[in-house]
Parts: sequence; structure tokens; C-alpha cells
Amino acid sequence: MDPRFIRRLRKIVGKEHVRSGPADLEVYSYDASLARAQPGAVVFPADTRETANVVRAASEADIPYVPRGFGTNLSGGSIAPENGLVICLSRLNRILSIRPDRRSAQVQAGVTNLELQNALAPLRFFYAPDPASQKVSTLGGNVGENSGGPRCVKHGVTKNHILGLEVVLPDGEVVRMGGQVLDPPGYDLCSILVGSEGTLGIVTEITVRILPSPESVVTLLAVYDRVADAARSVSEIIAEGIVPASLEMMDAPVMRAVEESYPCGYPLDAAAVLIIEVDGPTVGLKGQAERIREICSAQGCRQVREAGDSGERDLLWAGRRGAFGAIARLAPSYLVADCTVPRTKIPEALERVRAIAERHQLSHGNVFHAGDGNLHPLLFFDSRDPDQLLRVHEAGLEIMKESVELGGTITGEHGVGVEKLEAMHLIFSEDDLDAQRAVRHAFDPEQRLNPGKAIPAPARAQRAEEARGREISGAEELAPATAKEACEVVTQAFREGTALLPEGKGRWRRFGNTTDRDLLALRSRGLASIVEYDPPNQTITAEAGISLEELQGALKPNRQWLPIRPFLGKRTTLGSMLALGACGPERLRYGAPRDLLLGLRFVSGTGRLISTGGKVVKNVAGYDLGRLLAGSAGTLGFLTEITLRVSALPESCREASSCGSLEKIASAAGELLRSNIEPAFIVASPLNGTTSGAGTETEQASWRLSVGLEGFGETVEAQAERCAELFAGNGLRGDAPQGYPVEDGLFADTDESLHRALFLLRADLPMDKVKDFVEAASGATQTEGLFADFGCGRVRVGMADLSEDAWGGLCGHARDLDGHVLLEKAPDDFKRRQDVYGPSQRAWKVMHKVKEALDPKNIFAPGRLPGRK
Amino acid sequence: MKIAEHDQTIAMCNRCGFCQVACPTFRATGQEAGVARGRVALLRALNEGRLEWSPDLEEPLFACLLCGACTTNCFPAVPTADLIVDAREEYLEKVGRKRIHKLLFEHLLPYPERLRRVARAVALGKNSGLSSVARALGLLRVFGRDFPKSEKIIGRMPGYALRERFPPGGFEGRGKELRVGYFVGCGMEIMNPVAAEASIDLLREAALEVHILENTCCGLPAGSYGDREAARRLAARNLEVVTAQPLDLIVTDCSSCASFLKQYPGLFDEGNPLHEKSKEVASRVRDMVEQALAFPPPKLEEKEPIIVTYHDPCHASRGQKLVAQPRQILESLPGVEYREMPEADWCCGGAGSYALSHFETAMKVLDRKIDNVEKTGANVLATSCPACIIQLAYGVRRRKLPVRVCHLSELIHERLPQT
Repeated sequence: MDPRFIRRLRKIVGKEHVRSGPADLEVYSYDASLARAQPGAVVFPADTRETANVVRAASEADIPYVPRGFGTNLSGGSIAPENGLVICLSRLNRILSIRPDRRSAQVQAGVTNLELQNALAPLRFFYAPDPASQKVSTLGGNVGENSGGPRCVKHGVTKNHILGLEVVLPDGEVVRMGGQVLDPPGYDLCSILVGSEGTLGIVTEITVRILPSPESVVTLLAVYDRVADAARSVSEIIAEGIVPASLEMMDAPVMRAVEESYPCGYPLDAAAVLIIEVDGPTVGLKGQAERIREICSAQGCRQVREAGDSGERDLLWAGRRGAFGAIARLAPSYLVADCTVPRTKIPEALERVRAIAERHQLSHGNVFHAGDGNLHPLLFFDSRDPDQLLRVHEAGLEIMKESVELGGTITGEHGVGVEKLEAMHLIFSEDDLDAQRAVRHAFDPEQRLNPGKAIPAPARAQRAEEARGREISGAEELAPATAKEACEVVTQAFREGTALLPEGKGRWRRFGNTTDRDLLALRSRGLASIVEYDPPNQTITAEAGISLEELQGALKPNRQWLPIRPFLGKRTTLGSMLALGACGPERLRYGAPRDLLLGLRFVSGTGRLISTGGKVVKNVAGYDLGRLLAGSAGTLGFLTEITLRVSALPESCREASSCGSLEKIASAAGELLRSNIEPAFIVASPLNGTTSGAGTETEQASWRLSVGLEGFGETVEAQAERCAELFAGNGLRGDAPQGYPVEDGLFADTDESLHRALFLLRADLPMDKVKDFVEAASGATQTEGLFADFGCGRVRVGMADLSEDAWGGLCGHARDLDGHVLLEKAPDDFKRRQDVYGPSQRAWKVMHKVKEALDPKNIFAPGRLPGRK
Repeated sequence: MKIAEHDQTIAMCNRCGFCQVACPTFRATGQEAGVARGRVALLRALNEGRLEWSPDLEEPLFACLLCGACTTNCFPAVPTADLIVDAREEYLEKVGRKRIHKLLFEHLLPYPERLRRVARAVALGKNSGLSSVARALGLLRVFGRDFPKSEKIIGRMPGYALRERFPPGGFEGRGKELRVGYFVGCGMEIMNPVAAEASIDLLREAALEVHILENTCCGLPAGSYGDREAARRLAARNLEVVTAQPLDLIVTDCSSCASFLKQYPGLFDEGNPLHEKSKEVASRVRDMVEQALAFPPPKLEEKEPIIVTYHDPCHASRGQKLVAQPRQILESLPGVEYREMPEADWCCGGAGSYALSHFETAMKVLDRKIDNVEKTGANVLATSCPACIIQLAYGVRRRKLPVRVCHLSELIHERLPQT
């Protein structure tokens, strides 16, 4: 490497933090995968600023670079570009803050997952993603790969738990994306960074969502004589409506390896075991465990053992977490596949894996996250033998092909890296990949950041076939009946530069900033059918124009539902709901629409039909364009088809409520959020619908707190009792719990009345700041309605009037509280003078670049975005 | 064994990286060359011809503490510390050794009397504030290039060496049986004779006779450095010394010596008569920490209450699997409240003379250890290895903590009834 560049690096980080000797380069030529390449230098910046300076230096010297944590990547994603620069973040190893009151923690990228878990445990909190490598994998790496882990059956993957990121972009600029709130307005930039395998930016600081530790845990070990019986039990358990915290499977070869290296108590004469863990409120857990026992027995399970104490439980998990390492006893090398299939296809997938291994004369074992269909077939070999190496790679590719054929994907959590680049063509068309390349290009036009990873190079021999257009001039509105038609009209609009406004029922036509351009409505009503519903796998694919009501109707006969009660109700289309990220306060328990989104088809700004994701619950192949589209308010594309994860209907829904002063109610809400009670929502609103700042005694006592409890009957009852105790402890008297309808929830009327106001303001805040903002809003304006969602940190305020001064004040207030504001409704003349997203932020520039990448002529809802793009 | 012969063992590392979690030097530096996976990768690169033996390898090979924590966290249990010692041996052969080490291993450590003379010279210099005089004598430079900084690790040097007060030979005990040989560790003799006297008195309390041995250095420093030949010479001499009279047991209160004495058989090939001899001797070697429990429990008196925590020397916990014993002893002492510290079995960074040769890294490793000591709120920190005691005492002194660092023997001995 150029000695001048080395000298420049030394100047930035200090001499001892630059390494370039032969021994240093050798030890940075590998990660935990089979790939290798020798870097030209390794640099260890101390902080974000140094990282940014290093990136700038590399750009100026035209040297490619890769960020790296502790090098435990399993797909070759952290391998250096040949003769490039490794930017190792191991010195960024501090936990910056832990805030149980707002359920967040801020860490530097080099902190390991386990270090964070250990810091949280004494506070009775945890961080949900728990990759098996958690002892040694850094949170920066977890973000890069969108890591999962055994616990993500119930809680989801890394993506579902990232609130904010500090990122050094390839141009050396430092940008904060997201922050301290669940759903900041604008594009979900964090979600595109998470799982981007270090190709879009270098994450130096992370704000994660943390959760209170569950009240109880029951760990079961189910022992089987036949692998297929174990595999069948998995989908039976989920179909029952039980959501285990973990559901892991391990077969005989792996158990033997584990027992030989570290006796953990696995039965050596069994064909397979399931480790099943349920957690949550103590009441009801025993019943769930009993039910699981019955299901397993019905599927031919030989024995179900319950871990007697935490020691026994730790031992079972130690074996599971160490399984990959233990395999090292069987052979010097192993290839770990990472395919995901629909749960019901697990038995068949395992059988096909066995046949492939046999054909290539490779011994193999299985240890995997059965609960989400994420298989990890391990193929044993010796990498020193070139013939074996060849065979193992062929077998790996075949396993991926079979998984895709079974409706699955090529990687559930280990990433594409370099090892699965070829396989990307199995699941994505060249158009799909072009859309991803465009996003990458928006971030890193020079392709210096981790080049050659994650997305394969363009394979097209010649230019794509010219797309067909369809006449649109003179149309009042467009309502394509098929995705193909939609492509044709968008292609035409792209050619003519016609601005389109994608919409469902038209209720949110005026959402966002306003524009002077003429907009032609592009409606989804012609696309309104259910494409595929797979009840045992709990997934549904439907066209974007279907109403939520209709979708719920289709799910109901199977006792399932889509657990979202969006603001403004069930008549909304699926497409609008997703595009606006619309959800109600039940988001606390079930997540936002983007958290339930598995796959998406949309027409891009150039008229191409783009697919992203799939129909399996764990999928890290390619950038997550789906989550980018979710919440993009129609500015990035026209949604045509959506695949979602659905749930079993809760057995019971009860509301625990109480009236009192805002002070007392906020304190009770805060305590609830720190407790291990698991409510579906925690909201409050003033009894008479409005508030005024300087309240009298009676006005102060005029708030109503409403806590939703949903799930198994006996658990709900017990939790309602605990709520009553908690109310009493805060000087509140609980009302008798009331049932409510599961799909409609409780707040449809409140939503409608809020929406009648001329101005509708939404604030997203850290959950401990809801009360502060409510007070500020009440003091600044005459409110017409107010809805405070303590569980999600969201406040909606309806107002008859809003002065620009008051608006400015509220923007400032929200910012001081680490929150954001957005005017969901405001008169056009107000919008012409003010950006409804408030004062400008650095991240907006990145949003604009993303928009340019997918909609180069700015034809989708122009002007709507933050910054009026 | 040459590194090439370890090919199969080296191939067992599948680069999972789990060793990183427990490696004190990696946690301190965050650099791959400072962790087992990296060190093993370098050996593999040597075998596969990507690297050549060169001074580039000195840092990665010699900066290892040999604490063995990586192997405990390694599923295929790659014995990295053993591989490193063999690699050091080959390094010295192929790249060369330093004169200063020749002086240490061939002219100083084999001769207890010379070692004591050096110590006296150093004590004189150190305690009179003239440590520069000692430095000028070049005597302490044996410890390596970081010495000018690291010299402050050693606080006040004792004014005498153990065997100046307890000359080699038999001392009558108050017990009814057992003839016990007391193996004098260099560190105990020179740096901590007070604790050594406590151990000897505890042995006399229980045994019929205690024989202070005229042993030399056990050979561990030379062995760890990769100079197996020097280690073998020292071992051969010690085997002669300990078999010169009939002894039921050979006890030492230095866990490092105890661990190495137990490993003597590995120094000599099978077929070499010394192999059999060292096996027989090793079967009679006891760490004071295990022997104290094997004796009938002495009657102890209550003293002022203290809160004690315990640091596991690597050579006790991983070297000899002595983990439960010291805790059992501490919990049985009257007036002692025992508190386990987090990561008690993490290396303190002393690692023999490591702290003297790799000062910066050793200090980072030490910081982590002292943080953990502080978390316990203990006012006494006990252990059973003189190098750990030096290192930990420095750590405590640096932070000005009101914590006494001492040998386990001292805590027991202080509670014997005064007669």
C-alpha cells in the first residue's frame, strides 16, 4: 500500500493504530467464513470523527475499504477488498447509556451483543436479538447482518429493535438516522442500513430498543426418534397460536459433537431434539407448556423434559450456542448453509439436504432455528483438500436452490457476503437487483465501500428490453387491473414526466407537503384480491388495493388476524396502511406494519416491477427495500402486492382503565413500561376531549388511562389484576375491566374525531417524554382533541388553529425532547409556508438521494417528502 | 515439536472467533494478532508458506500471556498456549535469541545464590531510591525492553531472601506423620519471603518434618519463553534435588511452580529415564492451595472481620484445575466474608515477567482486573502466585485502593492461635 496513505492514516489515528506488516495483514485476511483476501492495511479509529477522517482519506486516495468488528461473519462479508483497507471498530467499545425509562440503550459499534446483555440483566431488561455468536459478535456486526438468533421467533430480528444509527457515509459525512423514537417520520433509513452488510455506510453508534425481562421462562427439551416428527411438531405448535420465545432443533450428529466437547445433557440415542422455550407472565405459562407437551406427544415425541432450574437451562443453551464450534471436533472445516423455508416445508427441506449431502459424499448435521424455518445444514469437510472444497460449494448452492423451490430464501441471517452472490440470481430478477444497485449507488457512487459484496455485479449482456407504455394522457385517474398494466402506465408517466399520486381510498390524498404540480391519481382499487393465504405458516399475500376489513375477513375462519388497528380504521387499503406505516397503539405488542411485512412488489419510478423480500419470516437477502417503501407515503413506488405475517387471534381482549390527573396517569404508564406486564397498548386521553394549559383541580383529574391486555384468557385476567394493583400504587382507582372487539379495538371514534380538526399534529417521542409534550402542546394551542400513546411514545393533537409561532415552538419542544413532529393534516396555505415535517435535518438529504435512486424523474407524489422533495 | 508437525491441530481452528471473548490481551488491544485465532492463523500461514519466520512474528508470539483461557472457550479445544510455546522455541532457533535471555536462563536462574545476590543489589538500589543504580548495573534488564517503565510495578523489595533465614535442610514439624519437601519458588523467595514463612509454618503445623529444598528455578520462565533446553536443564537439576531424600510430598506455595513441576514429564521424551522419574515426582507434587485442605483442619482464631475476594492464578485454575479449593479455604476462615469477583479466572496480566516486558498491554489487562476487584467491595485480595501478587499489588497501589493483596497462606497463618 502507498506509504503516503499509511502516513496519512497514522496522522489521523496515531502510529500504533495502523497496522500493515505481513503478520498483521495475514490475520486480517479471513473471517469466520471460508473466504479470504489480503488487505493492504488495517486501521483502528478511536471514534466516529476518526472513522470519518479515515473514510475521507480513503476516498481521496481511491482506496476501497471495509468496516469490521470482531470478524465472526459467516458469509465473507467482512473480508477486505484485495489490497484494500480494513477499518476495524474494536476500539469503539463503550456502552454510552442505558435508559430503561424509555426502553433504549446507546452503544458504540464495537460493543459485543453479550456485553450489552450483561449490562442490561441487573436492570431486568434485555436486548432481544441474540445470535448464537453473541459472546463475540459486535452490535455493529449484528446491524450489518441484521442478525437473528434463537429468540427472534417471538421478538423478531435486529431490524425490529434498532431505533437509531450514527453512520459515516462514503463521502465522509456523519449522519444520524432515526434516534430515540419508534417511528420517526420520513423514510426508515435505519432499516436499509440494517442488513446492508457494510455496503452503504459505516455504523459507529447504535441506539437499540430494550425490553423488560419476562416474568417467567419455561424451557422444554422434546426428544424424538424420527427427525420428521420433530419437524412436524414445529409447525403444529405455531399453528396452535403459541408463540414460543425460541424453538430450536438439533439432530444426532450435532448433539454428539456437543456432548463430546461439553456435556450438556442431550440424549445421545435420539434422532433429534427440540429446545422449546416459552416466556412471559407466569400465569398461563404452565398451560402453554402443557399444550406444547401434548402437541409434541401427538407427533410421536418420545419424551418431553422440563429444565428444572436456571442451571439446567443454561446448560441446554450453552450446548446450542456452542454447536457450530463443537462441529469442529468432527472435521477441520464446515460450511454452514443458512436457507429459510416455510415452516411446513421443514421435513421436506431436511430430506432434500440429506440427499444432496449424500450425493456429494459429505457428512452433515443440522442445528437450526426451527421456529422460523431458518435451517443451518452443516457440511463437514477439510478445506485443505481442493476436491472436497469444490464439492461442498456445489452442495451449498444446491441446498439454496432447493430452499427457493420450496418457497424459501437463500439466507435467513448470515448474509450474502461473497459466498451467496451467485445465488442471489435464484431469487431476484435483474430488475430487482438493479433497484438495489441504484440504492447502493445513491450512497456510494464510487463503489469503494465493501465492493463486491451483498449484491452481484450486473449480469445483463445487453440493454434491457424496452418496456411497453400505455396511453395515459387525458385520463382523470388511473386504476390498473394488473401489475403489468401498472408497469405500463408508470413507464408512460416516466417517459412523459407526468406526476402520479398513488392512493387507495383517497383519504390521505393531502398527506405530507404540498406541491404545485398537477398530480394524476394512480389508484389501487383494480388490484384487490388475495393472492395466497397459507394458514399453517401464518402468511398471507394480497394485492395492495384490498381493504383491511376484507383481509381480516379472510383470515378469521382460521382464527387468525393481521394484528394492526390503523389510525382511521379498517376501511383503509392494505397499500395505504403500509405506505403510511399506519398503526394504532397496539404497535406496542405487535409491531408496526413494516415489522409484519415479509415481501413486497412495487412498480418503481421507471416502470419496472420490483420484488423484495419473500414469504418467509427471516430473510436477509438483498437490501430491505420493503421496509423503505413502508412509510414512504407513495413517494418511491406504486405498491401492487404485499406479503404479511399474520397471527393467531387472541383468546381474550380486556381493557384495564382508570381516571386521574395527567401526572398520576403518566407515572402509572411509566411503571407499566418498566414492568414485566405485557400490555397490547397503554394510552390516555382527556375525558372531555380537550385540555387547556393551566388546568383547575378538576381538569387535572380528568384524564383516562386505558391499558389493553390481549392473549390467553387466564393470562389476561391475571394481568388485569396486576394492572389494578399498579394503579392503586400510583394513587389511581381502577375501573372494572371491560372486554373489547379484537379487530376494531377501542379507538375508532377517537380517531375520527381527531381527524375532523383542521390541523392534526403527530409527535413521536421517547416514551418517557409523552407527558412533557402533552403539557407543552396544551399550553401552546387550543386543542380540539388529544390522544397520548404512552406505549409507543406518540401523541396526536387535533387543533382548530395553529399559528406559525406555535408550530415553531412545538417543533423546538419535540426536538429538545429527542422527538419529531409531523402535521398529518394542515390547510394548503399553511403547508406552502411551512414544511409539515418541521425544521430541516441532515438525514433528509439521504432520503432525497434514495428517492432519486428509485424514482429518478420524481414522478411519485413529488413535493410530499420532508424538505419538499 | 516443530510447528509443521502440528498441522492437524492447527487445522482444527475453524476461525469461529469464540476465543476472543476470554482473551485478556485481545480485550485490551482489540487486535487480531493478539488473540488465539490470529496466532493460530499465523502458524497456519507459516505451514502453508504464506509467511516466513521473521522478527515480525515476535510480537504476536511473545505477547501471549499463555493463560490458556482461549482453550477453555474453544470447542475443538485447540491448545494454543502449547502451540505458542513450541512456536517460540522454533522462533528462537530460526530468528535468534537475545543475549540477555541467555544470561537469565543459563547464568542466573540455575543458581539460587546468584539470584539472591542480584536481588540484594536491587533491593539496595530500590529501597534507597537509587533504583537507577540497579538499572545501570543492567541486572534487571533481563526482563526486557519495557523495563524502565515497568520497574515501578515492583514496590519495596524485601530486605532478605527466604533461604537466608531458612537455609536448606530439615525443620521439625508439630504433626505426627509426613515428611514434606518445601519447594522454594523464586518469586516467593525474593519478593515474598513473609508469605513463604507463613506457608512453611503451616506445613510445620501439620507435618512431622519440613525439608526446605535447595532447588533452583522450576524452569517455567525458560519454558514459556520457548527455551525448552534451558527448562530441561533446570528440571533435571531439581529432580535430583527433590529425590535426594525420602519425601512423602513436595509442596510449593507458588501455583506457577506447582503447575510446571506437574508438567515435568512432558519435557522429557518417553524412554528418557528422566521421563519416568519426573512422572513419579509429579505424583507427589502439591500446590499449597490443595494441600492446605488435605491436612486436618487447624484450630483457628477469629480476628477482625474482613471481606476477601480471590484471584485465580492461571496456573492454578487452568494449569491445575484448582478452583473450588481456595474458595473452600476462604469460606472456612473465621471472620472472613468471601465475595466472588466477576471474571475471577481472568489473567491479571502479570504472567510471570510478562508485565515487565509488555507494560502497556499488561496495564490494560490489569485495569480490567482491578475494576472487577472494586466491584466486590472487598478489602483483602488473596491469591496464590507471587507474580500475580506483584501485579495485583501494583494495580491496587496505582488506584490507591484500601485493599490488601496477599497470599492465601498468610490469611490462614494469621488465624493460627499464637503460642
